[in-house]
Amino acid sequence: MRYQRPGLDLASHLLLAVGCGLFFLPVWLAFTASTHSMSDLYANVAPLWVGDAGLSNYARLIHDPVSGLGTDVLRLLANSMVMALGIAVGKIAISLLAAYAIVFFRFPLRRLCFWLIFITLMLPVEVRILPTYEVVADLHLLDSYPGLILPLIASATATFLLRQFYLTIPPELVEAARIDGAGPWRFLRDILLPLSKTNIAALFVIMFIYGWNQYLWPLLITTNADYLTVVVSLKRLLTTGDALVPWQDVTATAMLAMGPPVLVILLMQRYFVKGLVETEK
Amino acid sequence: MATLQLSALQKRYANGFVALHGVDLAVEDGELIVIVGPSGCGKSTLLRTLAGLESITSGELTINGRRVNELEPAERDIAMVFQNYALYPHMSVFDNMAYGLKNRGVPKDDIRRRVNATAELLDLGALLDRRPRQLSGGQRQRVAMGRAIVREPQVFLFDEPLSNLDAKLRVQMRLEIRRLQKRLKVTSVYVTHDQTEAMTLADRLVVMNAGRVEQCGTPMALYERPATRFVAGFIGSPAMNFLPVTVHGERLRLPDGGELTLAAGLEAGSALTLGVRPEHLVALDEGDATPEGGAVIQATVEMIEPLGADTLAYARMEGLDELLVVRLHGEHAAGEGSVLRLWLSPERSHLFGDDDRRIEAHRATPVTGSRG
Repeated sequence: MRYQRPGLDLASHLLLAVGCGLFFLPVWLAFTASTHSMSDLYANVAPLWVGDAGLSNYARLIHDPVSGLGTDVLRLLANSMVMALGIAVGKIAISLLAAYAIVFFRFPLRRLCFWLIFITLMLPVEVRILPTYEVVADLHLLDSYPGLILPLIASATATFLLRQFYLTIPPELVEAARIDGAGPWRFLRDILLPLSKTNIAALFVIMFIYGWNQYLWPLLITTNADYLTVVVSLKRLLTTGDALVPWQDVTATAMLAMGPPVLVILLMQRYFVKGLVETEK
Repeated sequence: MATLQLSALQKRYANGFVALHGVDLAVEDGELIVIVGPSGCGKSTLLRTLAGLESITSGELTINGRRVNELEPAERDIAMVFQNYALYPHMSVFDNMAYGLKNRGVPKDDIRRRVNATAELLDLGALLDRRPRQLSGGQRQRVAMGRAIVREPQVFLFDEPLSNLDAKLRVQMRLEIRRLQKRLKVTSVYVTHDQTEAMTLADRLVVMNAGRVEQCGTPMALYERPATRFVAGFIGSPAMNFLPVTVHGERLRLPDGGELTLAAGLEAGSALTLGVRPEHLVALDEGDATPEGGAVIQATVEMIEPLGADTLAYARMEGLDELLVVRLHGEHAAGEGSVLRLWLSPERSHLFGDDDRRIEAHRATPVTGSRG
């Protein structure tokens, strides 16, 4: 619906602009801070414009091990990337197969299986963190990529979303494929996967960001700097004891940490919106 | 090219519901069999058991003499056209038609040749790169047909393939299906609830009711000599009129007191049903002499439906609860409220016993006692 009232248009755009500004301001402040030298930052109030130490700050973080962390930021980003990709891809693969089984196959206790998966929605990582830690420690997976990824890899949300999508697929399509000689794997690969492309893209975006932003779990199981993730490192940079907090490093690392999720969203936003809004049939 | 044999085919669902009570049917090579019946009569279930999409509880199904009860749909060498077409939405028309061949490991060149030939046959050549959603209903229907034809199967199965089309397109596609089936000579089973479609397409017609075959025969045989009251009421549009009659000696007494003689050793006093089609009730004009044989009944017209070529009159007959439907010729000027004199011909009447089965009794002898 569109109203022909220029006043209303103007007011709503103004409101929108103010809103955007409010959200953008902290990001901008972090960015400007990351381009000043430490002495600059401590001598003046928070700078509103970029300084001249930007390039050297970022280059230092990327090349040299950061004091207090024992590794460079590139390594942190790589760790985060492995974890986030592992979680996103793993979650999608597992939920895809789980939903496929629940919707298209008849087996005993099918309904029970679905509800068991569903109720795990109510148990976030934090609730089961102690037993999970115990299991991971017993499996000698502390300080390893599998340890970072595996406990977070099952997803009731994704299973549920894919199930809802699969339920909208007309049964005749399944039957036509059966008559065309497509077995279960071929049906999954040739029919179901292409049809759920947009849903998978949307889930990937959500799950990637979920994985990237993990804090508590990586904090708990990584003691070795080689497996430290960038989100956890931010907190560690702030705990300097008696020394001054290196704000230019903290903000620069934060800016770098924001990069990949933003990139994923920008690249996939077309599918992302499509996957959440429409079902292509 | 194949024959299809169903012997005592039974389907019982897990919840105990019996959808098919032992169906026997032999389909000959190249024949087009139409299965027709009201919704819930088991006609779709029957088709799905033929396809292998539903398991068979008992009985035997053979294609070309080979038992196929336990075979997967893909192994039965059949092709099915679905009501909603069930085209793969993400594939082009070409890929839709090629998919079944690809899964069977047919070489790429062969696939291309066969799909192109089929597309030619169905006038789909220009649409091969389109997606199903870019096609009209009729085009989708043709792609669905193409997907079945390209496989060169032993048997075609059609599950109400025309019911999603508008009336004009339906007639056109009906002719096209008939033409293709005659040309390709593939044994076909066609399910529909539309009796016009059934009459016009079928080599032989199977009327089903409540999981049983009521009658099987050519469309005209079913029209002229329906074996049960159900078939009589189902085949023909508008449906046959049914009059309750009682046997008095040699005669049948009509609801309005008129009498009709049918020569048969009928048990006196028994209550039977007389059926007569709307097109077989002859309206007599003022001066017309009463024809020989049969009975003349009077009925008051309550409603008129002009169809152009002819007119349907719904008329009230004394002693009958339902309205009598009469098909009048187009120019017949029967106004609402007018009284029709209708001649009931014994040759064109059908008699059904209290078990709803046909009684062969229409060898007529001359009339007596009509009140016309």
